[in-house]
Amino acid sequence: MIFASPWLLLALAGLPLLWWLLRVTPPSPRQESFPAVRLLLGLHANAETPARTPWWLLALRMAAAALVIVGLARPVLDAGTALPGAGPVLLVIDDGWAAAPDWAARMRAAGGVIDRAERDGRTVALLTTAPGMLGDAPLAGPASPPAELRPRLAALRPKPWNSDRKAAASALTGWHGAVAYIADGLTDGAAWDGFATAMAGAGPVIELRDAVAPARLMAPPRAEADRLVARVIQAPRASAEAAAVLAQAGDGRTLARVVAAFPPGATSAEAPIRLPPELRNRLARLAIEGAASAGAVALLDERWRRRPAGLLAGDAVTADAPLTGELFYLRRALDPSAELRTGDLASLLSRELSVLVLADHVVADGPEHDAIASWVAKGGLLIRFAGPRTAEHPDSLLPVKLLAGDRRLGGAMSWSQPASLAPFPPGGPFAGLDVPPDVKVTRQVLAEPGAHLAAATWARLTDGTPLVTQASRGAGRVVLFHVTANADWSDLALSGLFVDMLRRMVDLSVGVAGADAPDGPPLAPVETMDGFGQMGAPPAGAGPVTARALATEAASPRHPPGFYGPESGRRVLNLATNLPKLEPSPAIAGGTVEALGGVTPERALAPWLLAAALALLAMDLLLSLRLRGLLRPAAASRALMLASMLASMLASGPTHAAPPANPGLATHLAYVVTGDAQVDGVSRAGLAGLSEYVNRRTATALAEPAGVAPGQDDLSFYPLLYWPISPSAAPPSGAAIAAMNDYMAHGGIIVIDTRDGGSGAGFAPGTEDALEQFGRGLAVPTLAALTPAHVLARAFYLLPEFPGRYAGDTVWVQRDEDRTNDSVSPVIIGGHDWAAAWAVDGQGNNPYATIPGGARQRTLAYRFGVNLVMYALTGNYKGDQVHVPALLERLGQ
Amino acid sequence: MTQAASARRAEALGSRLPPLLVAAERVAATVAQGVHGRRRVGQGDSFWQFRPFVDGDSAARIDWRQSARSDRHFIRETEWEAAQTVALWRDGGPSMHWRSRHATTEKCERAELLLLALASLLLRGGERVRLMTPGARSVAGRGLDRLAEQLGEMADGDGMPGETALPRHARVVLIGDMLAPLEQIRATIGRLAAIPVSGHMVQVLDPAEALLPYSGRVRFEGVGGGLSALIPRVEGVRDAYAKRLAEQQAGLAAICAAAGFGFSVHRTDHPPEAALLALYTALAPQAGRR
Repeated sequence: MIFASPWLLLALAGLPLLWWLLRVTPPSPRQESFPAVRLLLGLHANAETPARTPWWLLALRMAAAALVIVGLARPVLDAGTALPGAGPVLLVIDDGWAAAPDWAARMRAAGGVIDRAERDGRTVALLTTAPGMLGDAPLAGPASPPAELRPRLAALRPKPWNSDRKAAASALTGWHGAVAYIADGLTDGAAWDGFATAMAGAGPVIELRDAVAPARLMAPPRAEADRLVARVIQAPRASAEAAAVLAQAGDGRTLARVVAAFPPGATSAEAPIRLPPELRNRLARLAIEGAASAGAVALLDERWRRRPAGLLAGDAVTADAPLTGELFYLRRALDPSAELRTGDLASLLSRELSVLVLADHVVADGPEHDAIASWVAKGGLLIRFAGPRTAEHPDSLLPVKLLAGDRRLGGAMSWSQPASLAPFPPGGPFAGLDVPPDVKVTRQVLAEPGAHLAAATWARLTDGTPLVTQASRGAGRVVLFHVTANADWSDLALSGLFVDMLRRMVDLSVGVAGADAPDGPPLAPVETMDGFGQMGAPPAGAGPVTARALATEAASPRHPPGFYGPESGRRVLNLATNLPKLEPSPAIAGGTVEALGGVTPERALAPWLLAAALALLAMDLLLSLRLRGLLRPAAASRALMLASMLASMLASGPTHAAPPANPGLATHLAYVVTGDAQVDGVSRAGLAGLSEYVNRRTATALAEPAGVAPGQDDLSFYPLLYWPISPSAAPPSGAAIAAMNDYMAHGGIIVIDTRDGGSGAGFAPGTEDALEQFGRGLAVPTLAALTPAHVLARAFYLLPEFPGRYAGDTVWVQRDEDRTNDSVSPVIIGGHDWAAAWAVDGQGNNPYATIPGGARQRTLAYRFGVNLVMYALTGNYKGDQVHVPALLERLGQ
Repeated sequence: MTQAASARRAEALGSRLPPLLVAAERVAATVAQGVHGRRRVGQGDSFWQFRPFVDGDSAARIDWRQSARSDRHFIRETEWEAAQTVALWRDGGPSMHWRSRHATTEKCERAELLLLALASLLLRGGERVRLMTPGARSVAGRGLDRLAEQLGEMADGDGMPGETALPRHARVVLIGDMLAPLEQIRATIGRLAAIPVSGHMVQVLDPAEALLPYSGRVRFEGVGGGLSALIPRVEGVRDAYAKRLAEQQAGLAAICAAAGFGFSVHRTDHPPEAALLALYTALAPQAGRR
């Protein structure tokens, strides 16, 4: 703890003087008028008067005085060490992506630096090392008083790109004086040395940094056969650590969470994400858990999702025939997992393609072979199905060498039985798939036995002959099913296993990217990330980028990380893609280093001390009054009571009305407590206003409204339950729904108010969905529009319409034909926000204006409320009123 | 409280006691009953005698009914009736308009109540009652309301009754806090005794004056005067004060006894009936003096 004005503590030396003064000054006497004062003249007490102030009162006053003096000396707790040097201070803040994860701590540290400068009366200049949002290079601001710098500091946000060390170094060269550097701990490229030199040369440096850079980078994932491999990059650390990666869908839901473990000293760690293809295709981003930074998010675009599969059959005429054609089966099997294309080979290969399926199609030597082979070598997955033609003319684009001709199992001319499938070997792409026992293979092509056959086999029959073989060709792969794609040779195409196997195959393939034509149209930024990794509209400085440049472009103010291009061909620019290697930066030469996390914000004690002194003085005042007899016990107790009441009022704050202890003693209107404080407050004020209106206008005596939680409180005492729908409220529990159904079934009336009807449309977005969600389990009868002929419109007042705060929407009640519950509607649904119209504040005013407005709307709203209460209390009693004209007519006859 | 209401309350209070009769002390000038015929012609309501009209009589005094029975003119003469006159006085000084928080009424209010209650009793007994202020008219019979009006107009005074022409041998009732120096009171009583009149003195005190129930360091300010006394510790002087008050009361009693006055003390937190009873016993005809 230090004192900002320590010389003021000298005043403490004056305390003994104060002590003496207080001791010699007796308390001032109490004044009393007294007629018989003549008799008192000259009387002397027979006992020594304690004219001196009691010691404890003295001690109290001394303590108050000491507190005032110490408070004025402005003690500061947890103050950091003083800044080095004298004169203006340059506050250098790394605000690149790496600063984002612990941005709050950095801002606290920066605030601490400013506090210290302010205490020393020094001016501060600010230099942020990352380029600004418009691409402006880092520049040291003018030295200004700390108080003026605080708002600028508060407005500072991390940028979703790297720090520009070179520009920062040149900005530093003009500075001569003390430097406080809040470092992100990364070199950010080769320009670090120049930056460090420039800083060391500027003046004394105090560096606030973590021992290791906390920033981690989420690299774009790598697609593998049945998985996505997430890769997390960090600066090397001494200890083993782990980072959790969340795989999130476009709507923000987390689909998977994997943990990447870093061994000590490692700079990257990988974690496979295994997801069913349906889910995998919904992946939109990978994010490091708990690190809000643009670097901790890898966006995924179409490359990780689209799997176009081309189908080509040997006999194009019969291939599509239902139940017999090969493509008939392949289409159905591949449809869920891939985008299917058909056509001749040239047209198929002219577009990007992940998978090419050849069903008994013999690849002719020449251009066709070359086209397919080069496509496979670039990463294509070629799936071939055997058949009579393939068996006759094995070509070179097969994973294994085939024996000429096919092999028949079973049948009239064979001794052997049709073969079943052997269980899939673990580790292969089909691992874990169940083999149905009824799948039999009757014909197959056979591979030439060889040393590599076992390694090339992914599935085999029970007799050991291969069913599926594969071979890598360049970046791609060729897979051969040794049976046909239809039911001619085996039952495989008829079973669900076929679908699963093909899906696994498709998962193996590499996603395709859009054509990166060098002269392609530039892609405009659509949605970009801010420094914390939140998506948003692109900043003003963002510009379009060509698809080809995306691969090489590093994130910059001109090209912030995010989505680019049109909806159909959306591309991403990830921060991690072209970032220099993460290297921990060494400490600035000659500078002092302070821990960033260890900086606790300094706390000024002066206000607390002065407040304590004030409290002591107030106590002293009370005690003095007591000593002089001016504070009688009754007054004291009254004051205490007032104080405690005030305290309880302050402590309690706004709260909803608890249900009365015994709700059966009086009639209460009730509302459902939604948990949304504002909505509950309106409900409460509204029902209170309505109760007051009803009490004034009718013979009904309503007590204070009660807030109830259905399912917890007994609803049976309340004739009417007002339920405002709030999208922010928690949906009612099953018990609550059950309680409300029971309530409605036994004569209760629930008024459901969506608060967005008629003229108020759009005032409460989301309530429609919320009502749909909340009311799912509610036993709502068949509804009909509320008309002026309904009992509710005649229960007390004759109402032509039923406005609340809003007007013009339809109000729904149970259909008249429904005779259950004595024709009394158990539910009234509307959106007029009646409670707001009824609400009355403490001054008796209506705090919520009616829309479209007018005193008549308010009056009608109240009248509707009265009718509601009457309807709830009397049921269909006023129903006869509807028939009055008919009755009169009948009486007349 | 308006004077009329005050009178009604006093009457209600007085009605609870039997009519109070004032015993005459001097044989020659007093009568034993409230209404005393003087057996002489004089001012009065009762018929005394007819006498023949003589020259010099006013024609208005001729009793025409009697005169019509004969040839002569007669004049109707009434008996001279003399009632005891009781002069009442209450102290209206600033010290009387005060009450401590231990009492519910001001001393002056209580004094007026006592005065009117006593007047009510006396009037019911047929006595004449007047206030002891210059120019006050005595009232009799049902004149309590008039007396109350006069009381409302009565000057507040400064602690002791002023010079007032009183009939000789009238009775005087003085009600006040009697906190003035004894010499002043002795002079006043001596002046009254020289008329000669006698009577009764009631000292009305606030309970705070009687008991000094204060504590701590208190500056006592006199009421309406510049006197003040700073008592550092009131608890310490309570006994001394009680002693001084007792001395004052003893002095008063001595002065009253010397002048043939009665003396009693009344506290405003005590019921007024007690004080009225004290006055009753003090003014009632004493046994053997009839």
